[in-house]
Amino acid sequence: MEAVQQRGFRNVYKNGQCTGFQIAYRSTYYRGISLSLSKGFRALVDGEQFPREAITITYEGETYTQDELTKAGHVHWQLDEPVILNIAKPGGLKLGVHVVTVNWSHRISYIGTRPGDPEQTPAAELGGPGSTGSTLEFGGGNVTRKLVLVR
Amino acid sequence: MKMTRKEFLQTAAAVAGAIALPGTAASAPLAPQRGMDEGFPASERKGPKRGVSIYSYEHEFNVSATLEDCLIELSDLATPGTKIGLEVLANAHIKNYPNPSTAWIDDWYKMLDRYDIIPVEYGHWVDTKLYSETRTIDTKEGVEMLIADIKLASRLGFTRARTKVGMQGGASMMVQTPADNFFEIIKGALETAQKHNVRMLTEIHIPTPLKGPTMDKYMDFITKENTNPWFALNIDFSVFQTRMGPQLGDHQASAAGGQAPHAPPWMGKLPLAVPEDMIPLIPYIHCCHAKFNDMTDDCDETTIPYPEVIKVLADHGYNGYMMSEYEGIDKLQGGAWPAVRKQHVMMKRLLGEA
Repeated sequence: MEAVQQRGFRNVYKNGQCTGFQIAYRSTYYRGISLSLSKGFRALVDGEQFPREAITITYEGETYTQDELTKAGHVHWQLDEPVILNIAKPGGLKLGVHVVTVNWSHRISYIGTRPGDPEQTPAAELGGPGSTGSTLEFGGGNVTRKLVLVR
Repeated sequence: MKMTRKEFLQTAAAVAGAIALPGTAASAPLAPQRGMDEGFPASERKGPKRGVSIYSYEHEFNVSATLEDCLIELSDLATPGTKIGLEVLANAHIKNYPNPSTAWIDDWYKMLDRYDIIPVEYGHWVDTKLYSETRTIDTKEGVEMLIADIKLASRLGFTRARTKVGMQGGASMMVQTPADNFFEIIKGALETAQKHNVRMLTEIHIPTPLKGPTMDKYMDFITKENTNPWFALNIDFSVFQTRMGPQLGDHQASAAGGQAPHAPPWMGKLPLAVPEDMIPLIPYIHCCHAKFNDMTDDCDETTIPYPEVIKVLADHGYNGYMMSEYEGIDKLQGGAWPAVRKQHVMMKRLLGEA
């Protein structure tokens, strides 16, 4: 399954100004979970880092900062519903092909906390495409895809 | 059926043990209690029975297969005149979980009927790390989640729930023990489980062996609080694995040209249990996960001693389902469809059902 969606990839405009862009992302986990279990979303686009502070999340019409996300225990992220990553970048992205990596991780309650497991996605910069922060079998880590931006 | 007095007394004692709940008198009710009803139609065979967790098809579901496609696949596995058992993962397979529409539920029952399926086990989680990696969820919130799932399981016709409450791990990750308020959360839902005829089953899975401190904690709770069958066991056959077999981690590593990124700490210690370890536990086992990793074209499994596992279950009166859970390397490339079919050929042979 492609987690990073082509559909929904576009620049976002406010009052005629391009303020950033958005990426739709489907969970890579095998079950839907509460949004609060997310440790965070980060992105890397053509080598440019977008840390968690630069990204808000929209799900079912509600927009959350990533700190607010940690409190959304009663919002169930359905397996077949993407979240929208709203990524701040004045001027947006150029039209054409982009290499997009989304990093997402989450807490797994039935595996005991490992020493050093962070509460939130670490602030460290993402590696290049292909490297993974955690194993994909548990639905975390990097997913990279080439996307085409038209607007 | 005629019973000797001794058999009668044994049965009565078993009934008493099965339904007594904390705070209730332990006098022996003689009429069959709801908890003693396995919840399976009389047409179903006695002994171990076959079923599938459609978690096995996780990489097809919502991509190339709908829920109905998965159920049609299962109907090919049912022996004519009987039904095939079904396990779903509540928050994966139920549309708009935890609030499915009545139209969805109507359709659900139509599909079960159309495809010869009996709903057996409802997989669900109490995500105790809901707000924090290190601080467990409030007991009250955990109980509320658990009760909501039991009610939904019952609405969908399930009689067992694979109830996953959070665990704590030691530094070695070899020992997984129940979260601080694990048993308090379970206690808060026991009455609801009995009322709705849904058994909450904790899953014993690698790296937890069938003998050891974690199992002792479960059995102490089950016996002291008389929770059987409302809180009891699901055995995952991973505990009998003699070798790792092809795993997703190996696959990722080989794709990247390197070592498995997270070699599990139990790799050198297999098997963690032998099938005979189940014998004293049989009265507490109300469902099994027929975990498997590698099927040959001769329909043999190469990582788990299925002949011995099924023999122990059959010889010692296990009367529940074994739900296929496929975790083989080719799962990412559509391998789950044929693998589950091969496993059911194997299980039919071992059950004398062929």
